[in-house]
Amino acid sequence: MLNKVLFKNQERKQLVIAMIGAFLGITFLVMSIHYLIKINEFGKGSDILGPNTIIVQKKVTPSTTIGLTKSDFSPREIEKIKSEKFVLDVKPVVSNNFNLWFETDDEHIPTFKTNLFIQTIDPSFLKANLEQWKWKEGDPSVPIILPRDFIVMMNTFASSAGFPQVSDELAMNSNFKFMLSNKDGKKEWMKVKIIGFTSSVSAVLVPETFMQYGNQNFANGEEQKISQIMISGKENEFGRIEELLTKKGLESKDAQMIVGRLKSMVGTLFFVVLCISVVAVFVSGLVLIQYMQLLISKNAYEIRTLMRIGYHPKTIVRKFFVYFLKVFGIVSAVGLICFLGCKYFLDEMFESGGVYIDKGITLWSVSAVLFAYALFSLSSYFTAKKETFNAY
Amino acid sequence: MKIILDQIMPKPLASIPHGPESIWGKKIEIESSTHILLNASSGKGKSTFTSIVFGLRNDYSGDLYIDGRKSSTFTPTDWSNLRQRRISAVFQDLQLFPKLTVKENLILKNDITNTYQEEELLELLEHLEIGAKWEQNCGLLSMGQQQRVAIIRALAQPYEWLLLDEPFSHLDTENAQRCLELIHKRTTEQNAGFILTTLGNSHGYEFTHELKL
Repeated sequence: MLNKVLFKNQERKQLVIAMIGAFLGITFLVMSIHYLIKINEFGKGSDILGPNTIIVQKKVTPSTTIGLTKSDFSPREIEKIKSEKFVLDVKPVVSNNFNLWFETDDEHIPTFKTNLFIQTIDPSFLKANLEQWKWKEGDPSVPIILPRDFIVMMNTFASSAGFPQVSDELAMNSNFKFMLSNKDGKKEWMKVKIIGFTSSVSAVLVPETFMQYGNQNFANGEEQKISQIMISGKENEFGRIEELLTKKGLESKDAQMIVGRLKSMVGTLFFVVLCISVVAVFVSGLVLIQYMQLLISKNAYEIRTLMRIGYHPKTIVRKFFVYFLKVFGIVSAVGLICFLGCKYFLDEMFESGGVYIDKGITLWSVSAVLFAYALFSLSSYFTAKKETFNAY
Repeated sequence: MKIILDQIMPKPLASIPHGPESIWGKKIEIESSTHILLNASSGKGKSTFTSIVFGLRNDYSGDLYIDGRKSSTFTPTDWSNLRQRRISAVFQDLQLFPKLTVKENLILKNDITNTYQEEELLELLEHLEIGAKWEQNCGLLSMGQQQRVAIIRALAQPYEWLLLDEPFSHLDTENAQRCLELIHKRTTEQNAGFILTTLGNSHGYEFTHELKL
């Protein structure tokens, strides 16, 4: 009966328009947050390097070959790149200046030996377990990170030689060894432990302390040059790093650039959609609140009379509050269902385009709806209370 | 429930002269279970008096005490509690819901305290000869019929005071008498008091005190 008195006198057209606005806002809000997170997560789990990180070197040109231009980075050049606003950090990639021999030391895997080129990068660029990524003189083994191509190469060799292939797990549990040497015939053997893999770096990575040890004790007397640097860029500003590389005549691995560019573009797109949806949810929430105010003011006589015949103001406030909670609840639920439908088709589209993103639902996107709902609940409660007591 | 009007002077009436018998600006104590007739000509503040006692307006100087408590300290919830169980009223402008039927208007009120069964409400309407209007929208009834619905609605709750603001102004003598009998019976049952405001015609109402404005 109370509902009949309070809600019969309504302009439903305005309510429906506000509900459609809120529905669209909620749907796009969930979708944009979800895909913004998924796009940023894309490719993160597959490598030991941190997000938005690339290794660059100077482009090799005919003038480099004949010695007119240098292929190494000076400290000044590194500082200049570091000073760019969209660059988070720049660190040199240090290479070995001594001879290094790498070979298997385990009966479970095929015998394999090669001369090796190693590099070290600052630990802040790595996602590898830093506890394991440590070495000091006298340690039983040297932790290393292998380029994934190296395992592929090992397996190609194993396959052609009729040996069983080596999986990532087997490689990480097998024994290897290094032999460090110099021109004077000085030699040292060390055990090696693989702790991870990378697709971003072409050389075997070793801890900085090991590199220092090798370069101090087995150096061939040549000057140590920095031919590669690692750049870590800000989220969604990868395009600007690309511009910098072009401007400075630098190059990186294509795969890294493409993923970075894709993430940056799609991320920006979803960020724009997110901004629009936040505004849409906010505006539609405001329209719903305004609609509530209008409804209460239209029913001022009814509210006043109900209170005169003994109804508690709180009972009336609760009626309006619950009604609008239901309205926004329906809108949010329909928005979430619509998001799930759209997500199914979008995930299929991404997959058919070769972009394999995780299909789980992000907690933040659902939390955003709950947050919007909580915010709307609070504002609708206070509006209902204020307007009802005003009518009193 | 004792009602005390302590030097109350409604602001809109402050500028007009009031007779020596007028209650405005004086201390008046209204004892419980008494039957009061408030007799005054138009514009002297009969509805204002009802509204002040019922807590609908506070544009006055002085203080109103209900059971020893100053009304200015009452919250809207306090007033709701009073209006649910202790003070009932028939307003001059009736305050019915015109788009609801007679039945809905009465049930809306009765639902708060469950004073009557639906059949009893219908019987009361029949007693006042408007039983046939049970399912009709209140807005379609004559003023006299609406007044009778408003009176039954006011009786559909427990009360210690019943305020009646010119409740029979659109009723013929016979119907006014029937209403008075009903009011008298219900008020006596509850050992309650009532205040009837009138323009001069007491409608044969037996009162214990008469107040002037």
